[in-house]
Amino acid sequence: MKILIVEDEPKTGEYLKQGLSEAGFVTDLASTGADGLHLALTEDYDLAILDVLLPGLNGWQVLKALRAAGRDLPVLFLSARDRVEDRVQGLELGADDYLVKPFAFAELLARVRTLLRRGRAPASPDLLKVADLELDPLRRRVTRGGRRIALTAKEFALLELFLRRRGEVLPRALIASEVWDMNFDSDTNVIDVAVRRLRSKIDDGFEVKLIRTVRGMGYVLDA
Amino acid sequence: MRPLSLTQRVALLFAIVMALMLGLLGFALDRAVEAHFRDMDYHILAGKLELVNNLLAKARDRAAFDALPQQLDDALVGHPGLALAVLDGDGRIWFASTAETFPQPLLEAARRQERSLITWNAGERPYRGLAARAAAGMQQGGPYTVAVALDIRHHAEFMRQFRRSLVLAMLLAGTITAVLGWAVTARSLAPLRQIGATAASISASHLNARLPLAGLPPELAGLASAFNQMLDRLEDAFQRLADFSADIAHELRTPVSNLMTQAQVAISRSRDAQAYREVLESAVEEYERLARMIDDMLFLAKADNRLLVPRQEAVDLAQESRRLIEFHEAVAEEAGVQLVVSGAAEVVGDRLMLQRALANLINNAIRHTERGGVIQVHLAQSSGGVSIAIENPGPTIPAEHLPRLFDRFYRLDPARREGGSAHTGLGLAIVKSIVEAHGGKLNVSSAAGLTRFEIHLPA
Repeated sequence: MKILIVEDEPKTGEYLKQGLSEAGFVTDLASTGADGLHLALTEDYDLAILDVLLPGLNGWQVLKALRAAGRDLPVLFLSARDRVEDRVQGLELGADDYLVKPFAFAELLARVRTLLRRGRAPASPDLLKVADLELDPLRRRVTRGGRRIALTAKEFALLELFLRRRGEVLPRALIASEVWDMNFDSDTNVIDVAVRRLRSKIDDGFEVKLIRTVRGMGYVLDA
Repeated sequence: MRPLSLTQRVALLFAIVMALMLGLLGFALDRAVEAHFRDMDYHILAGKLELVNNLLAKARDRAAFDALPQQLDDALVGHPGLALAVLDGDGRIWFASTAETFPQPLLEAARRQERSLITWNAGERPYRGLAARAAAGMQQGGPYTVAVALDIRHHAEFMRQFRRSLVLAMLLAGTITAVLGWAVTARSLAPLRQIGATAASISASHLNARLPLAGLPPELAGLASAFNQMLDRLEDAFQRLADFSADIAHELRTPVSNLMTQAQVAISRSRDAQAYREVLESAVEEYERLARMIDDMLFLAKADNRLLVPRQEAVDLAQESRRLIEFHEAVAEEAGVQLVVSGAAEVVGDRLMLQRALANLINNAIRHTERGGVIQVHLAQSSGGVSIAIENPGPTIPAEHLPRLFDRFYRLDPARREGGSAHTGLGLAIVKSIVEAHGGKLNVSSAAGLTRFEIHLPA
């Protein structure tokens, strides 16, 4: 998976490159709109991350030129300005997502993965398994070590999300959006409580703890 | 051209109105007096004409006829301004009391058997005259025409005097009313100048100045009182803003101080990777808190600048409430409280913003409800709009805190940071700005262990 980052702020650009590289992506970094556009037109990328405010050619113009050249790779915008017009303009021009600075890196990573996953075959309804935990999406059954675990509907949805995105750190905002369809900023500990309750049901009494907290980032499920 | 001052306008208007009124009154008087004089003159002249006619009619023989001039002279005694002429059938003067000539139109009118009062000037003197055919007493030299005229010099003199006085009175009255108007207006407007002076003296550091209301005319008392109320509001808003700035500094100081101390302690000696990791993890948590606070403050700043434009979509509040309760289920269960929705309501607004407002209120209610309590969400719809009430049992909030509950960072107990580090203290302020962006109202009441937040949204 190859990602193009166009960001003029050197520190931000470096950290994005490092973070995405360590998450397993191949990344290129351009610091001006013109360089970014040139790279995007000559190389083959799976996704572009564009800063809105760039010297010379700004993010909107790069996107326009890309779409005009027939490139339909997903584009995620970064902006320090959160104005409704900006968001609307970006989405009208064909941007796929829009993230306002400051953002959590885990959030960016989660959205990048969502964008890259988009357009692929829908998740199979097959049995989801991690270690001795099994989740059957069709029969809505969860077992661990062969023993049935009773979950509420939302706990089931939460566990399914964890299993489908196994090994990914899921930020709280993403969990709220995917499981409860709650898309507003909130300073509640709702997600923490929900994850804690799910964890007590599937991890308590087992040697291997599957759900881990990544402090300051979110939660991850892995064996 | 510079516009006239109010005082000048009022003075000018007074003068013009007064002059105009006196002018009209004078004109009417002038006409009336003139008509009266003309009437009076007519009666005198007609009487004399009758007398002369009688004398002429009685003179039936020669002797009487010869005595006529003497009789006519006698008749004129005691009437110094009166002139008389008798003309024979050929138009020759048969008798004339003076050398003055009678104008031709008068005599012609007499020949046509018409009586008309005619005014003319002979030399310096104005005359008014009347003429008539005499009844034929004497056949010889007839028919005779009699003309009488009255010197109306004193009348004309009177009218001239009268008109001069009138013009003088007009000028004088106009001037006096102008001066009076100017003085009264200038005096009445004095408080306005004071309002101006007070307004000029007001600055950020001097917002406590107020206009004295005593002795103001009612029209200006309203203005001054509105002005004072505006100052009250400004002072209050300014104070809140100043508090807000101080609060921001305070709120930022805590996490920044945590970050700094932690980092400094961490680098004061060498540690293993796990220890560094813990420092960074803790730092990320503080950064998240800071980022959320910045987000919230930007949201509020946008609301302040009226940049918060809610989308217009149909929102089923009962469904949203149930979803929010489902979202908070785990937290509510941990806190040992129950959430109940009743009623139904639909409104056109921004679903995301309304969700956020309701979530903040529900969240707030859960935090302040004791174990075992039941939080009620009542929805109601009427023609005037919808109302959403969120009611929770909990400690009564003292009345003096209620109006400031929606202020940013406002806390009942300043020493206590509620809800742990995740809570920014901006939740209720955000609820308020969302409700206001929808044109609604947010109220809170608290009594007898029951706190009730109520949102009214217009239909």
